Amino acid sequence: MRGKVAAKKIAFYAAIIVVWQILFSLNLWPAHIFPSPLQVALDLAHGTADGTLLFGIGTSMWRLTIGLIISIAAGLTLGIFMARVESVNQTVGSIVLGLQSIPSVAWVPLAFLWFGLTDAGIIFVTVASSLFAVTINTYSGMKNVPTSYIAAAKNMGANSVQLITNVMLPAAFPYLISGFKQGWAFAWRGVIGAEIIFSFLGLGFLLNVGRELTDISQVFSIMFVIMMIGILIDGLVFKKIERKVMSRWGLA
Amino acid sequence: MTKLEAKNIVKHFDHNGNPVLALDGINLKVEEGEFVCIVGPSGCGKSTFLNVVAGLEKPDNGEILLNGKSITTPGPDRTMVFQEGALFPWLKVIDNVEFGLKMAGIPKDERRQISQRYLDMMQLTKFASSYTYQLSTGMKQRVAIARALVMDPEILLMDEPFAALDAQTRDLLLVELQLIWERTKKTILFVTHSIAESVILGNRVIVFKNRPAKIKKEFTIDYRRPRLAEDENLLKYQQMILAELKSEVKAQMKGEFQE
Repeated sequence: MRGKVAAKKIAFYAAIIVVWQILFSLNLWPAHIFPSPLQVALDLAHGTADGTLLFGIGTSMWRLTIGLIISIAAGLTLGIFMARVESVNQTVGSIVLGLQSIPSVAWVPLAFLWFGLTDAGIIFVTVASSLFAVTINTYSGMKNVPTSYIAAAKNMGANSVQLITNVMLPAAFPYLISGFKQGWAFAWRGVIGAEIIFSFLGLGFLLNVGRELTDISQVFSIMFVIMMIGILIDGLVFKKIERKVMSRWGLA
Repeated sequence: MTKLEAKNIVKHFDHNGNPVLALDGINLKVEEGEFVCIVGPSGCGKSTFLNVVAGLEKPDNGEILLNGKSITTPGPDRTMVFQEGALFPWLKVIDNVEFGLKMAGIPKDERRQISQRYLDMMQLTKFASSYTYQLSTGMKQRVAIARALVMDPEILLMDEPFAALDAQTRDLLLVELQLIWERTKKTILFVTHSIAESVILGNRVIVFKNRPAKIKKEFTIDYRRPRLAEDENLLKYQQMILAELKSEVKAQMKGEFQE
């Protein structure tokens, strides 16, 4: 079963490369706007060999990690307060929904003015992109805890702090996970977007350099790397947690 | 000695902005070691009364005394077995059972020791490390009972705990619960809509009158234990209670059709 799926995937990706190569061989577009698969592969190999690619990945991932940690910590706190204190929900809650609708690159000018050309500026954009998704999911999760769990916990003597830490947060875990997952996806877009505009190291910067030098192979290869990191994190981190959570929480 | 006393409990519900009387002055005394069943039609307010006793809902009037002391908040001296179990799916069976002990700050070794005893009593030892999704409904209710007993409550409250079980499982648990009651000598207040359950379990059966709930009549069931579900001698008790309840159910149906 698993092998079959893998075989399908391999066949699909092989087909893409073949079609790509055929399109390239047909000379439909000039080579400086449409590279061959081999050119992109060589660019990836070259970037790996001289270290620029790894350094770019490292820089972007480092910014992403710091930004995401801040978002998760702040988003959880904000979400819990919104769920537990009605006046916080009525005030802060109303603005959170609005802030969530701001596209991540729209934070860039503000970040530039406040932090200048620094890592802090890019991390600010990352946090602003992902914080509200984490907040909203935490809030929904806390609000959707079955009332019977809360009654049972109080009945067994849980105080209000224990109620949050031992019952409401674990009960909300499936929501928290989807909040983290959305948060990570938004954060990743935020980091790359900010790096393109800031043009200050990282994968987004390399992508921009590719454009400036009309190095189409580099543009393709960096986009490929950005996508692969997305697939890897989703598959290695979130899919596994989700599968476990779904069966244990009785959602599967 | 009187374990629990409900004094003139009055409670209203909000129905589209209008207060509707749900509990109309309930007076009830439960003696230490007694097994008392409250029986009444669905939606008559018997679960609400149990929630008031548990401290999960506040009465508009009246008070609940436990060992002569007034109580207003929920607490582990009155643990409850809920209809839907309300077990925590993120915890293993043993951690579910230990939950209240953990909240009370009892050290892990001691917790394990106590909970092990109740897991044995409920024949759950093999399932200690299972998660709740791996258990049948009957197993889940056993865990819920163990989780409530582990707190060594003054009184055990049970809110239709067997309503969702298949008949065979329920009959087994009805016998088991009687054995547990005899072994632990707990005071039990058990709410059900099933007359059969009430006469199998209760020393006393309290019949609730419908909307607003009020105590209509009470029966003493003086019969040897353990009582089995198929025991024909229990039928005469059932019929007495049924006669009392019939008029209530009829009144409720009438009311529902008119609404």
